[in-house]
Amino acid sequence: MRKNWWKALGVVILIYTYTAGLLIPLKPGILSVNPSNLNSGEEVTLTVIGYNTFFTKTESELRAWIKLDNEHAISATKIELVNDTKAHVSFNIPSNLPTEDKVTDASLVIDNDQDGAMVLPSKLTIKKTIDVNPNAEGWTNAPITDLNRKTGFSFPFRGILYETIRNTYFHVCLWFAMIILLITSVVHSFKYLRNFRMEDDQKSMSFTMVGTLFGMLGIITGSIWAKDTWGTYWTWEEVKLNMTAIALLIYLAYFVLRSSFDDYEKRARIAAVYNIFAFAALIPLIFVIPRLTDSLHPGNGGNPAMGGEDLDNTMRMVFYPAIIGWTLVGVWISQIVFRIQRLKEKIMEF
Amino acid sequence: MKKAKIFLQFILFFFCSNLIAQTENPDFARSIGKIYVVVAVIVAIFIGIIAFLIYLDRKLTKLENQINNK
Repeated sequence: MRKNWWKALGVVILIYTYTAGLLIPLKPGILSVNPSNLNSGEEVTLTVIGYNTFFTKTESELRAWIKLDNEHAISATKIELVNDTKAHVSFNIPSNLPTEDKVTDASLVIDNDQDGAMVLPSKLTIKKTIDVNPNAEGWTNAPITDLNRKTGFSFPFRGILYETIRNTYFHVCLWFAMIILLITSVVHSFKYLRNFRMEDDQKSMSFTMVGTLFGMLGIITGSIWAKDTWGTYWTWEEVKLNMTAIALLIYLAYFVLRSSFDDYEKRARIAAVYNIFAFAALIPLIFVIPRLTDSLHPGNGGNPAMGGEDLDNTMRMVFYPAIIGWTLVGVWISQIVFRIQRLKEKIMEF
Repeated sequence: MKKAKIFLQFILFFFCSNLIAQTENPDFARSIGKIYVVVAVIVAIFIGIIAFLIYLDRKLTKLENQINNK
């Protein structure tokens, strides 16, 4: 047991990530607003649908603004709460907009003391119905002040992602663990080429096997997410998907290559060299090429992922342990593969 | 052994059909902020790791048979 503490640690960390990753709620946010196409100079009532919000359970009044830019905002004239997640918000949009554009986009900001400030960025469009001098009077500015902050643990609320932001702990961590396992495998391949010990070859093979398994699970889980977000399991237009598929095929070829040799020494030598080349191909395929183009994948092309508000400190508290947990469990599984492989080669020698 | 195999196949099919049902009905999958996508992802990882364990189990059984036959 004293030697196996890291296995228990991996399991405990994974249990922690599963519970924390699933139980911590999302921050309150605005799910939708209807109508979203507004005209200047009209009085409009917007139906706001919130997510995880408590509109009726607050002490302070709900406040709402339409925000054009950092200096221009108007506040709601009337607010009618239907239930915790639904509210009718009325605005009196002035007839002249402080902009030269025919159509301008605006954000909706709502705030109360229970849910904190919520923003639906650039979802509203305001069309100019009459041409008025942009410098003319008439735009009453209502500064957005005294915004509340949501207290307690919560994950960020992001459009497109919503609850699937939790996939950071399941889908993304598998890729991180895969990279760590494949690096370990390459180190063992180098070790084998230095002193030709069969154990290093067996270890390298088992790390590659579990790394490939994690990679495949990563592709499958990504595919499930894509079906509900992009409407398709696989798209050939996504560079990131295609490149990881190629990388995994290279690693599958590694196992085909291994199974085509009868002589263990020969197999180990060629597999070690192939493994090093496969890893050399993996780096540009996974880290370089997807970053050169625009993509719909979170983290590329301005889509939400690993930075700023997308990976906040609460998420880091689950995300980093999840990487460690998956890596430890991956090492555990590859150790079992290694022991089976060593046993097999020992039996074959007799 | 055969019975166990049929049982396993049934269980795998059950989980998979569940998964397919979840992903093919967009209104259900996208309800409650798409939480069922997360559930489907977790189930997929679970099935993947269990399938790998079954593969290892069969490999080990083969080795045991070899030792017993010698």
